Amino acid sequence: MHKNRLGAYLFSFPSFFLTAALGIYPIVWALRYMFYDYQGYGEPRLIGFGNFARLARDAEFWQSVANTFVYAGGKLVITLPLSLILAVILNRKLKGRHLFRAVVFLPTIFSASVMSIVFYLIFNSYNGILNQYLLELQLVSVPVDWLGASKAMLTIVIIAVWGAVGNYMLLFIAGLQSIPEEVYEAASLDGVNPAQRLWYITIPMLGPVLQMIVMLAITTSLKGYESIMVLTEGGPFGKTEVMYLYLYKLFFPLTTTGTSVQNIGYGSAVGFTTAVIVGLVTWLYFWMSRKLNNLY
Amino acid sequence: MKRTFGNKYAFTLCGLLILALLMAACSSANGGESEANAGNGDEQSGATQDKLKISYWTMDRHDMDYMQQKVDEYNATNTDNIEVEMKVMADNYNQAVDVAFASNQAPDVLKVNDFQTYVNKGYLASLDELLDAEFLAQFDGLLAENVYKLNGKVYTLPNTGQYWRLLYNVDLMEQAGFSEPPKTLDEMVDAAKKITEIGKSEGIYGFASNFKNGSGFTRPAYASGSLDSETSHEGYNYQTGEFDFGMYRDVVEALRRIKTDGSMIPGAESLDIDPLRAQFAQGKIGMYINHSSEPAVYTSQFPTDIRWASALVPTSDGVIDGASWVNAGGYLGISANSANKEAAAKFIKYVYSQELRNDYQEKGLGLSVLPFVNESAGKPELAGIDGFLPTQYDGIYPATPISITETKLEGKKAADVFIQYILTGSPDLDAAIGDLNDQYAKALAAARAEGLTNIEADPSFNAGNLQGSLAAK
Repeated sequence: MHKNRLGAYLFSFPSFFLTAALGIYPIVWALRYMFYDYQGYGEPRLIGFGNFARLARDAEFWQSVANTFVYAGGKLVITLPLSLILAVILNRKLKGRHLFRAVVFLPTIFSASVMSIVFYLIFNSYNGILNQYLLELQLVSVPVDWLGASKAMLTIVIIAVWGAVGNYMLLFIAGLQSIPEEVYEAASLDGVNPAQRLWYITIPMLGPVLQMIVMLAITTSLKGYESIMVLTEGGPFGKTEVMYLYLYKLFFPLTTTGTSVQNIGYGSAVGFTTAVIVGLVTWLYFWMSRKLNNLY
Repeated sequence: MKRTFGNKYAFTLCGLLILALLMAACSSANGGESEANAGNGDEQSGATQDKLKISYWTMDRHDMDYMQQKVDEYNATNTDNIEVEMKVMADNYNQAVDVAFASNQAPDVLKVNDFQTYVNKGYLASLDELLDAEFLAQFDGLLAENVYKLNGKVYTLPNTGQYWRLLYNVDLMEQAGFSEPPKTLDEMVDAAKKITEIGKSEGIYGFASNFKNGSGFTRPAYASGSLDSETSHEGYNYQTGEFDFGMYRDVVEALRRIKTDGSMIPGAESLDIDPLRAQFAQGKIGMYINHSSEPAVYTSQFPTDIRWASALVPTSDGVIDGASWVNAGGYLGISANSANKEAAAKFIKYVYSQELRNDYQEKGLGLSVLPFVNESAGKPELAGIDGFLPTQYDGIYPATPISITETKLEGKKAADVFIQYILTGSPDLDAAIGDLNDQYAKALAAARAEGLTNIEADPSFNAGNLQGSLAAK
């Protein structure tokens, strides 16, 4: 018994150590500095809730929050139905379904930054592949600025959907495979059509799985910023600035002249607030979707 | 039995893992920590056994082969038994330096990429005590406060600089009826319009700037603004000690007219500098504004057959009241934590030797801001460099408090506001400038109140006096 406990401690030590060092310590570090004015050098100056008062007045931050909801909303609205439909199709005993699943899942394993560079080659206005095709087919007369102010958000949402759909499809397939075949057989005897099967059997019986998948999709979407940083750096003039990119720039300012000053105190307050926003949205979602747990 | 085996296996595995973690945590991996007399008979040759090793970090990749060769020469020839290990760090250099200092693995000598932050964080040793007066005298008149010095102490020295110019396609200019580049902003707008008129059907446009980020504004605006103004740079008026972004009104209006005329290349909103260069190399862009890295770019990165040249950036009325901003930050510094500061200082003196610096300039690796180099070195072996060579109108400006001010800024940065106006025509420019001045004034006052900057008004400042500081009038 004693040996068992020791083994458990030893096994859990590495993960505890890494969680404490790389997860808990930085959070505690940031929690402290959000009450300070600190640029990374000199003595931190205690300012109480000064950073939060500034944040309340910071129109740029709230614009980035609004942009985040547009980005996350757009991504979710397209990704979730698309992944579910793909999962339902590829869950059938079709020829080549494993190949299709692999193809759809493939984007998930690529680095978001690397793929964003590839997408830049596709979408950029001067020699992007997409524009070349559109010009060749005479669908446009001048190159479309896919990453310009009016279309940049749409473009990054499309790229985000491309990167996410395979992952959620796989999770949906796992959920679908947990639904007993007998239920569908009984429904067939009752003469239900495919749409009724999906709406009245599949979705309700996915209940708890669906709730988890949507929760994961919401948190991931709200925290996404990597591909945006590569593609637009939050521009033009803040049109695609999302809250985690805004936060990143406070800690690691992007500079063209070499001179950059970190904003650790304010950044910590922004970091805490963004975490609260993501937490609140997730909680709200759980509360609104609590009935999903009762369906299955 | 099975459980016992499992436990033994678990103990061994976890023990090894913990050991590995501890070893990883304790090892220094020589990120730069000096090793004096680190010779080991089994691992090192007799020749290097007693060498005093110092480490040197740089972020410069364009000259890495040349500098490595010079470091190797130094290691082979110096009589002080010093061995320099040079490391070229990839992107995120400032973060790498932060981590190195935080983990006590800082290099002995490092490229100073962000002077004010490095000095304020205590990374750099003062060079006044490490370098002799005769050596430092070579830099008289150049050592601007907050750029190379802080509170009178020298922490780094100038070397090369970025000289800003208008780059233009000579053939397109001539086809549009211009025999020389524009001298005023109105002429630039007019030239952009005419080039677009004759070339649009072939996808040729008069002007470009990379508005993907703030530099789409700062490249043209800082270059033109500094030439235009006797008092200001980066929106900061040195005489009054306050920000006044009115200095960019004319250049912003000119860029807006270029946009509304349809002379700005399509896609400029999301354009990065390399795609811009690629299009210029293909002959698709009439003019743009950038610095003296461009000749090397069009020699190796985007080789081009087009006839291009460069000239001083246009000003509002063609008159030069100030000096063309030369971006010449610090070069090398010595770590305050180094145990081998004297050896590091000897290496720095070698890097600043007349022979090395002249050779560096002649090879076209960078344009010097040091008069003792510019007077004696031959012309760089680089096509297109002529227009970038130092003129009487180039000068190194004292530091402005813009970086620290922007950490206190509540609202959009000036570059974002101006880019929005250039691309969309809103908000109202005068109202936007007024609002920026108010916001930056509040932020600067906060930074000063907290002692985050020592930059104050200098009523005697006149940018015109910088003329002739890098090249004779």
